[in-house]
Amino acid sequence: MRRNTRIWNGLAAPGAAWLLTFFAVPFYAVACVAFGSIDPVFRDAIPQWNPLQWDFAQAQDVLASALNGPLRGVFIRTFIFVIAAMMICFLIGFPIAYFLARHAGKRRLLLLTLIIMPFWVNYLMRMLSWVNLLSPSGLFSRFMSNFGIDYNWLDGSPITVVLGLVYGYVPFLILPLYATLERMDWRLVEAARDLGASSRQAFRLVTVPTAKAGVAAAAILIALPMFGDYYTNDLLSRSPKTEMLGNQIDFYINNSSQPQRGAILVMMLSVLLLIALSWYLRSTARVGKEQVR
Amino acid sequence: MLRRDFLRNLVITTGGLVVAPTLLSACGGTSKTSSGGLVIGTPSAPVTLPLSGEAIADGLPEESGTIEILNWADYTNPEVIADFEKLFGITVKQSIYDNEDAAIAKLRNGTLQPDLIIGMTDTALARLVAADLLQPLNKTYIDNFGNLLTGLQDPYYDGGSQYTVAQFIYGNGIGYRTDKIDSADLIAQGYDSMWNPAYKGRLAVPDSYRDAISLALFQAGVTDVNTTDAATITAAQENLIRLRDATQPKVDILSYQEIPAGNRDIAYMWSGDILIAPWNLPEGTSTDVLGFWYPEQTITANDFLCIPKESKAPVLAHRFINYLLDNDVALKNQSYVGYQPALTAVNAEALISSGAIPESLVDAVVDAERYASGQRLVSLSPETDALWNDVWATFTAG
Repeated sequence: MRRNTRIWNGLAAPGAAWLLTFFAVPFYAVACVAFGSIDPVFRDAIPQWNPLQWDFAQAQDVLASALNGPLRGVFIRTFIFVIAAMMICFLIGFPIAYFLARHAGKRRLLLLTLIIMPFWVNYLMRMLSWVNLLSPSGLFSRFMSNFGIDYNWLDGSPITVVLGLVYGYVPFLILPLYATLERMDWRLVEAARDLGASSRQAFRLVTVPTAKAGVAAAAILIALPMFGDYYTNDLLSRSPKTEMLGNQIDFYINNSSQPQRGAILVMMLSVLLLIALSWYLRSTARVGKEQVR
Repeated sequence: MLRRDFLRNLVITTGGLVVAPTLLSACGGTSKTSSGGLVIGTPSAPVTLPLSGEAIADGLPEESGTIEILNWADYTNPEVIADFEKLFGITVKQSIYDNEDAAIAKLRNGTLQPDLIIGMTDTALARLVAADLLQPLNKTYIDNFGNLLTGLQDPYYDGGSQYTVAQFIYGNGIGYRTDKIDSADLIAQGYDSMWNPAYKGRLAVPDSYRDAISLALFQAGVTDVNTTDAATITAAQENLIRLRDATQPKVDILSYQEIPAGNRDIAYMWSGDILIAPWNLPEGTSTDVLGFWYPEQTITANDFLCIPKESKAPVLAHRFINYLLDNDVALKNQSYVGYQPALTAVNAEALISSGAIPESLVDAVVDAERYASGQRLVSLSPETDALWNDVWATFTAG
């Protein structure tokens, strides 16, 4: 028995090594950069590998800015954009995933492929296509002007950035949702209906709670990259009105002599996302327990 | 696509990675030490850089095989490269860089080992020299050196052009649509035009913190674009925020496309960008719709060509520098890149008569006098640079 346990523990070793090499060590390196200094000549970050000598002065500045300074607005805006984009993604993605899992029958794989197919095209190419379509002389803008809607979509509009995020990430929401709904035991819904629940009640009281883990997984899956996204805003807006956290990180790391600040923002974002991830793990564990019961 | 455009797009195509080369370069490699400090020249205090090593001997034969060039994307006309390949029977291989600091980090740790570097600026030169990465030039191979503008034969950042040869020059100014903004009105407004709420939503500033903050300084009558004074820098921040609130600007480097496309009316931009704008006009649109106001007080700048110490084809590298300084080759190169070669003969008259630029943009041409009278952006100390960074981060935070 003890031998078996060792074998199972051994099987976890590659995963643990992977996590250590590609998450723990890089994350520690980011922390060492965040609390390190810069080379006064070459402006490279000089990581401080000894935690006892970490310098928290820059972190205090960034934290103060995030709480009461210019970064506060960026944090709030980023959260609003991501939450709005997630909600729209769910409004679009859930019915699609539900239809595919419940009603598409033999055509479900074909339909799933057709839905996902546009997203085989590189993200950058798709966004650049939208830039062309949405420009004042673009096809979409000209089409909308036929209905009296003359809106400059690329004029630093928050709506455009949120819709860009939705367009970019919605397939990553549909797939895990579909996977969850597809393997759901639909007899539970039938049982609820047999017991007198309306279709709406069955959906609310059976389908949604059962799909909760998949919903959380899908939400996390799209929220993580959206929080760090800067290129959607870069392409569709590039206005201070729509500046996101990823844009500030990009500036500090790629174009300033304060890469530590970029690293600190990366860490702050990671901590926030870690909290969200913990919530996901707790909620999936709870759902698992409830299903076992 | 301009090099700055490429810079932007390459950053985008990295897919949102937050641990960028600057961060990664901090985590390893065999970088040389940063001791020795920086020797930074300014127009008022020119420097002769310390010589390290010797230039190649006179009269050596050209190497055969391949010459590797480190260049910005689309920053040399492919036809010019092909002609050079034919002339010497060799192959030119290009590596692309999108950020001077990242490129220097890669040169220091040996990731990049080019034979010739194209397009770096004086803010990078001090670091290239401090890292002992460059070899002195032997000008006996560069017969066309005399074609350069006089002021650039002995530049303030590299007295005697010991390590570098200037390539392109430009100045900052305001590009605009003459069919939307009256030229006389624009000139009367000067820098104030960038704060004019009448242009709200139709205006842009460059995504370059040194250039954009300098705009705020110039508008307030400050000409020291390398100021270390915290109060002046704070005032510039407030001025930039006023601009932001009044005009809701776009912050990008796409004005060379967006102005001719009619998507914006006015932008603070590099003169080289407006020179390339006519190629982006919709078919049938007259080039007269493009205008450029060249301010009396503004920034002028140039980039240069240099040869790494470890170049395996130094003779060919010298030959290529010489080739790019040929007046006809430079004109051909300009016709693709857009930026103006730093050569005396490639002046406004030559550019207009060759059809490279329309007459309406003659004001965007930088001559020797303009170049000499312009302000130069030089490297700031890390402490001062941090202040400038904060201004930019606050401005872009919205």
